[in-house]
Amino acid sequence: MRASKIDRLVKMVNQISLNMSSNGPADEVAMQVAEHLEKFWSPPMKSLVSDYADNNTVGLASISHKAVIQLALMQKAK
Amino acid sequence: MLEFYEPQPDFGTPQSDSETLVTLTIDGISVTVPEGTSVMRAASEGGVKVPRLCATDSLKSFGSCRICLVEIEGRRGFPASCTTAVVDGMEVRTQSEEIGKLRRNVMELYISDHPLDCLTCPTNGDCELQDTAGEVGLRAVRYGFEGENHLIAEKDESNPYFTFDASKCIVCSRCVRACEEVQGTFALTIDGRGFESKVSAGQAESFMESDCVSCGACVDACPTATLTEKSIIEAGKPEHSVVTTCAYCGVGCSFKAEMKGNEVVRMTPYKDGKANEGHACVKGRFAFGYATHKDRITKPMIRESINDAWREVSWDEAVTYTAERFKSIQAEHGRTSIGAISSSRCTNEEVYLVQKMVRTGFGNNNIDTCARVCHSPTGFGLKTTLGESAGTQTFASVAKSDVVIIMGANPTEAHPVFASRLKRRLREGAKLIVIDPRKIELVSAPHIKADYHLPVRPGTNVTVLNALAHVVVNEELQAHDYIAERCDTEGFDKWVAFIADKRHSPEETEQFSGVPAADLRAAARLYATGGNGAIFYGLGVTEHSQGSTAVMAIANLAMLTGNIGREGVGVNPLRGQNNVQGSCDMGSFPHELPGYRHISSAVTRKLFENEWGVTLDPEPGLRIPNMFDAAIDGDFKGLYCQGEDIAQSDPNTHHVEAALKSIECLVVQDIFLNETAKFAHVFLPGASFLEKDGTFTNAERRISRVRKTMPPLSGKADWEGTMALANALGCDMHYNHPSEIMDEIAKLTPTFNGVSYKKLDELGSIQWPCNDHAPAGTPVMHVDEFVRGKGFFAITEYVPTEERANRKFPLLLTTGRILSQYNVGAQTRRTNNSEWHEEDILEIHPHDAEERGINHGDWVGIQSRVGQTVLHADVTSRVKPGVVYTTFHHPVSGANVITTDNSDWATNCPEYKVTAVQISKVTAPSRWQARQKVFDTEQLQLLAKARH
Repeated sequence: MRASKIDRLVKMVNQISLNMSSNGPADEVAMQVAEHLEKFWSPPMKSLVSDYADNNTVGLASISHKAVIQLALMQKAK
Repeated sequence: MLEFYEPQPDFGTPQSDSETLVTLTIDGISVTVPEGTSVMRAASEGGVKVPRLCATDSLKSFGSCRICLVEIEGRRGFPASCTTAVVDGMEVRTQSEEIGKLRRNVMELYISDHPLDCLTCPTNGDCELQDTAGEVGLRAVRYGFEGENHLIAEKDESNPYFTFDASKCIVCSRCVRACEEVQGTFALTIDGRGFESKVSAGQAESFMESDCVSCGACVDACPTATLTEKSIIEAGKPEHSVVTTCAYCGVGCSFKAEMKGNEVVRMTPYKDGKANEGHACVKGRFAFGYATHKDRITKPMIRESINDAWREVSWDEAVTYTAERFKSIQAEHGRTSIGAISSSRCTNEEVYLVQKMVRTGFGNNNIDTCARVCHSPTGFGLKTTLGESAGTQTFASVAKSDVVIIMGANPTEAHPVFASRLKRRLREGAKLIVIDPRKIELVSAPHIKADYHLPVRPGTNVTVLNALAHVVVNEELQAHDYIAERCDTEGFDKWVAFIADKRHSPEETEQFSGVPAADLRAAARLYATGGNGAIFYGLGVTEHSQGSTAVMAIANLAMLTGNIGREGVGVNPLRGQNNVQGSCDMGSFPHELPGYRHISSAVTRKLFENEWGVTLDPEPGLRIPNMFDAAIDGDFKGLYCQGEDIAQSDPNTHHVEAALKSIECLVVQDIFLNETAKFAHVFLPGASFLEKDGTFTNAERRISRVRKTMPPLSGKADWEGTMALANALGCDMHYNHPSEIMDEIAKLTPTFNGVSYKKLDELGSIQWPCNDHAPAGTPVMHVDEFVRGKGFFAITEYVPTEERANRKFPLLLTTGRILSQYNVGAQTRRTNNSEWHEEDILEIHPHDAEERGINHGDWVGIQSRVGQTVLHADVTSRVKPGVVYTTFHHPVSGANVITTDNSDWATNCPEYKVTAVQISKVTAPSRWQARQKVFDTEQLQLLAKARH
């Protein structure tokens, strides 16, 4: 069965986090992940995952959650 | 560059690269040439032709024909000019009564065993034997033809592209030497002695049965009609030629398209082409017939739904219809509901126009290119570490390499002309390390044996690369001074702390990679200490869930050992298709404008906005996999796909087909009704590379001209088709020639500032960056400093792929290519290349086959987590136990029915190279294959109704 939209995005964020996990302390990695999402993801993908992270942590790894919160801040700052 | 047909200049022997010059006189003419030059070549350079038969400048001098005799003041006898090196002050005479007599005598012997059928001979007027007989003034053959001779020798016509007519052979050995020295295959030999001497393919086999790879080097070298293209036998001698660039792999070979009217009768590798220097492979040299194949579609077509018959329409109607559909979709579903995919098979100018149309006409950044599914990790990885998304070298640079790493690439199959260069260097003594799950040909080939083959388990490249770096660091083999001077030392210190950890040691990583620790340590030592180290890699590196990580790990390894920034070293991605580099350069990714500048940069956007007269969206658009997901989710409704066959080439076919069926208006521009076009509503007929002007950029960053040899069959080249669509959408796009598009690219792109068609015509080709700092281009990058300033050592943690083998799917499938076929096969399947590869087959190790009761040739089902397909089995130890392998050149194979949509973490490049599967013996095609057959038949019937 096909994963839902948000499940796919959550999986992608977690994969990015995992691959960046050794880059430094958790907060630093979270910022790097957020910057990656900001740089490469389309606006609907960013919005969807940001909205999800506002109310949920289910499925999102800890660093991923921090990254998405950070991403939302970046989006708001624009 | 249209020229009357002339054979390419031949100086007789190769050029000497000595910097010491020698001056001599030849027939009273003073000539200055590099030391080591032959008298024959010096004479040619001085404008004096010495007659010859066994000499040609692509081969070392051989001295067997005795035609090129000269007189040298102070020397006895008549030395052969091809084997005599020049000496300062030497005085040479190429003509005298005695020389003339000797040459005629020798020539008379050759001709006494040669059929005198010049008037009906296929190479009449283009034959060195004929020319030489004329040059030496042969007027009679005293020996007659009654004695024993070879005139009734049988022809070998087994090769689909050329014949071997032994009756015309003068046993000069040029073909044998070309096979050895130029191609490096050693398929030919001289069999027998004396009068019995004859050219023989393999062990007295036919050319097709032998190891011959049909590169054509022997045909080019043959001075008679012994080896002749069948196209020349049928059509006769060409009357004009056009220099252009091959449209197959990323080597980007230069060719002379030799023509009769608008018909190409032969493609000969162009000696002045810097990527190939006169060599070719079976695809570029011979497989051009697809351009005029009966399957070509030359009229635009439209239909309401994919169940309807196609209807042929005018270009105007097709683009107006498309524009209306796209506008209507955007009105209903929003600005971002449409997008485009461009192709690395199209020219730079064409892909530039597609992204321009998307950004200005669609008003979004939903543009992606097929590099997404091959080398997008190269772009990300090299930009991060070195600062530029491109390889660092020329292909010729490999001649100065001492140690070569080939990783996840199979050059003899996929980049054969580069492979020939590499093999030449390896025969000269360079060392070779192959990192690949399969025993590719370079592991063990005639006169070549890899010093180390590290048979990595699919999906674990990063562990091997990290372990290589670990050994270099822990054994203190790194280039300390280079790193201190050239690299970001803070980042380096952090990286050293990471890589020195025991978990990256070969002994620890062996459990994941399967690579014996001792071999890996030895390979690391060799690369770090063996002199100039060059790394060449392919899709076996990039098409993984950690493709980007592996590219960064390769760059780390090269910087660590000081192997970037001069000839003979470097990091060299071997690009799959002809214009992968170019399509990436041209801003075909959704987050980048041309020149790899991020769309979020207000300064860059302003530059383009001023030129294009629109406001650009500052946010990245959708990548190809995002487009598919969005289509299935109902958010993406219109797609313009130029020159790419996503239905066959992209992973998880079920998913791709579902996406394509969800799209309300799919526009395909292609030369054939490809698999994707079977889901399309609008078909715009494409133009082959022979029908248009433009440029391709190869894996060396070399921009080369593509020149029109014939009018486009559909009336429009692809750039004209895109321009028509753009104008129908309301863009104001008017170019009279692709050179004007290149002028715009140059104006807007710092790395292309100095590029123009005029300069390309003058220089032949240009490696970017080409600007005020490098007016003639940049052969080697990062010479004094990295493009990003200081080289960055990226942390490359190993993260196992989620696509893992288990009890249900115990084997790992990996995919690749074969020499005779190209990518999805749309071109090569429509040529005689299919005689070498009629179907895709599954390679399986004898141990795995035996466990499953599978014999060679059996039908086997390949079941993955997402699908099943059926292929014939090839039981072979080329693959290691636990690994199976196939190619994806035939749509019916459904190779991508089984690959998953798992992808690279950074770029979403699909993980084609790792799919967990189970193999079992079966008796019938898979359900997908059965359905595909029905669908294919239906679609061809719907096409036939349009063409009736």
